[in-house]
Amino acid sequence: MTRSIPRAKSLESRITAFFVVLLLAVQLAGLISIRYAIDQNARAILRDELNVGVRVFKRLLEQNSQQLVEATAVLTYDYGFREAVAMQDRDTILSVLANHSARIKASGMALVNMQNTVIADTLQAGATGKPFAFPELIANATEQRRSSAIRLVGGTIYQIVVVPVLAPLPIAWVAMSFVIDNTVANDLKRITGLDVTFIGRTGNGSGNILASTVDGPLQQALQLELPDISRQPETRGTRALGGEEFEVLSTTIERYDNTRILALLQRSLREGLRPYDSLQVALLFLAAISLVISLLGSMRIARRITRPVRALAEAAKRVESGDYRGVTGIATMPQDEIGALATAFNNMSHGLSERDRMRDVLGKVASPAVAERLLEQQIELGGEERRVTVMFADIRNFTGLCENLTPHQSLGLLNRYLGCINAVIDSHDGIIDKYTGDGVMALFGAPISRSDDAERAISAALDIVARIRQLSIDLQSEGLPHPPIGIGINTANVIAGNVGTPSRFNYTVLGDGVNLAARLEGLTKRYQVALVVGPETRELVPKLVYRELDKVRVRGKSVAVRIFEPLGHEGDLSREQLVLLERYHQALHAFRHRDWLRARSEFAILQEHPDYAVLGKIYLGYVDQQEALPPDPDWDGAFTLYDK
Amino acid sequence: MNIQNRLVITLWLAASIMPPAAHAAQLTAQVVDPAGQAVANAVVHATLLSGTAPARPKKEISVEQINKEFVPLVSVAQTGTLVNFPNRDQIRHHVYSFSPAKTFEIKLYSGVPAKPVLFDKPGEVVLGCNIHDTMLAYVLIVDTPFFAKTDKQGIVALDMLPAGEYEVQAWYPGGGSAPAPQKIRLGAADSSDLKFVFALRPQSGRPAAGK
Repeated sequence: MTRSIPRAKSLESRITAFFVVLLLAVQLAGLISIRYAIDQNARAILRDELNVGVRVFKRLLEQNSQQLVEATAVLTYDYGFREAVAMQDRDTILSVLANHSARIKASGMALVNMQNTVIADTLQAGATGKPFAFPELIANATEQRRSSAIRLVGGTIYQIVVVPVLAPLPIAWVAMSFVIDNTVANDLKRITGLDVTFIGRTGNGSGNILASTVDGPLQQALQLELPDISRQPETRGTRALGGEEFEVLSTTIERYDNTRILALLQRSLREGLRPYDSLQVALLFLAAISLVISLLGSMRIARRITRPVRALAEAAKRVESGDYRGVTGIATMPQDEIGALATAFNNMSHGLSERDRMRDVLGKVASPAVAERLLEQQIELGGEERRVTVMFADIRNFTGLCENLTPHQSLGLLNRYLGCINAVIDSHDGIIDKYTGDGVMALFGAPISRSDDAERAISAALDIVARIRQLSIDLQSEGLPHPPIGIGINTANVIAGNVGTPSRFNYTVLGDGVNLAARLEGLTKRYQVALVVGPETRELVPKLVYRELDKVRVRGKSVAVRIFEPLGHEGDLSREQLVLLERYHQALHAFRHRDWLRARSEFAILQEHPDYAVLGKIYLGYVDQQEALPPDPDWDGAFTLYDK
Repeated sequence: MNIQNRLVITLWLAASIMPPAAHAAQLTAQVVDPAGQAVANAVVHATLLSGTAPARPKKEISVEQINKEFVPLVSVAQTGTLVNFPNRDQIRHHVYSFSPAKTFEIKLYSGVPAKPVLFDKPGEVVLGCNIHDTMLAYVLIVDTPFFAKTDKQGIVALDMLPAGEYEVQAWYPGGGSAPAPQKIRLGAADSSDLKFVFALRPQSGRPAAGK
């Protein structure tokens, strides 16, 4: 039992640990799934951003190209420019080209005649007199009056715009070049929010980075991906660059001859996830708070469970040592299963204490064998109705007889009587319900019923009478008072159960039948007999011979009962006794049928016999009474007794 | 530029002797495109190869600006003709040409310029207005007095032609390289049919000027 307390502690910690581990597992699973969802979501958003970004990017390139075309077209309308071109002075043309390209911040400007021969080129002086390098641009411009394309020239990419010089019909072509470099890439990045890299690939080369917003190691990492990226017109997907994940999209923005120019747009996954950082911090914070709350909560719950359990354990330990106070502080316990358990435990201890007490009481009032059997049968200790034969045995006029005795002598005398009575009742398997001063109340049939309860009661009573008669002889020889005893027996349905408060109660029987038994005991004095039994008892034990004493209506009762004195077995009685008994009963019959004359004569005769002297005298008195004051026509032969 | 897009103009030349003049022939020609549609505003001019062409009085021509358009779209004149550019609009114009045959400009003016411009070299002169990009006109200067523009039926008639050998050429605005000229001998009472088939390559940058 001493181990139970540390075990309760470990139960407490196990409950706490269970909840905390459970919550941790749930939160971990939640965090992982949220992290996964965020990751997937961020990737999807990045992909969307790239898809939108690439459209924006292409539109920007287009707009940029259109703006350059318009700007170039406007520039070539300049009258002075056209005059200079018409003048066909090469140096003048070269200087006007340089001048006008600077006006719109172009990288270079070339003039090509209608035969596609370069007249002047500010970028490449050596091109003069040679065919224009990109005749397809002039062909497009011939058709659409202007053309624009991205071209790779000596490792640099240019947006090249071709427009005619109109006077007002075309007299020459202007080819304006705008370099696409890191600055342009950064401008595009500012608008699209994406890293931009321009890649050129000629023939089966691995591709070169021509301009980019990324630099350093990241650009080197990107360089390694180029053979794969530049081989395909378009790619998209996640790529690890320099140990970091990027969502990458590449698309061809220009393709001519054996050259392909691609734009690569990328966005860092880490940057894409950054908006979710605060969310994740908040989630972690919430997880920590709920963990602490659940820790405290589960500790509290565990304590609420283990504290009563510990109290129960301690109470159980006390029960082991015979302390039946049960669990203390049950009022403060929660009204839950534990509380119910504590209440049940207390009821159990109460029951145990009751049984212990029963065992004690039974050990005193019943034979050990009966007490054992009572315990074994787990008798119902609550109130119940049962048929019980109740016996009251009383020493007649004990107090008066003992006036001359010392208290010690009185008690000794009383105990001799009671010892004698107890022994007989025990031997007939009755139980002593209580001592009533100088008497005893005994039960046959409670708490255990048997078929022969009434018979055993009468048999015990006859035994008691015989034993007391013997005791009287002994007492007489000792010179001590030897009062007779009176015994009343009645069989009735009574309430059997515990009477009193939970802390102090008795097992007893209650009911009219019990009171009647006491009255019958009192009547022994009136009829000068040792034993009076009620009609039910007589009926239950028909094999004995009874003398009907009277029919009485006891105080507080409207129904009259016939009362009898058991005389013994028929064989135990003499012939004379039986004859007298028959005569007596006939006299009684005559009396009850108002045959006063015959009754008087018969009772007068019977009165002469010592066994019927008292009865005869009583009935002669009755007859006198009836003759003097005739009874009602419906008289049932009963007499109402107002004394005890 | 694809072959399909080439404007093919078939020029029919019909020479016939005009009855009223015993010593003069009349040349009639029709300019059509390959689909047989008449081409207006084409110029046909004949150059007398033998003998001397009779002197014709050089007259002054005008290319007016009406409602931000040059009228007429196509003009043809003999070398040495004075061309005036009367501005009939309420707004000013800045007429210019960068063509080698005649480079000139008349800066923003209104009304009739004080001096007409002398076109003294043969060739195509493309006129524009520096402040109205859509304005366009052609002046063809030829070294012969025998020239005419096709009408809406694409027909051109040259009369008062003295007998002799002629080189006949057709020209179309923005036509680029001229078709190969064809020679024809016209007697005083001869009639002759000539057929020219040549391809023209319309200049880009402007809508075809054949309206």
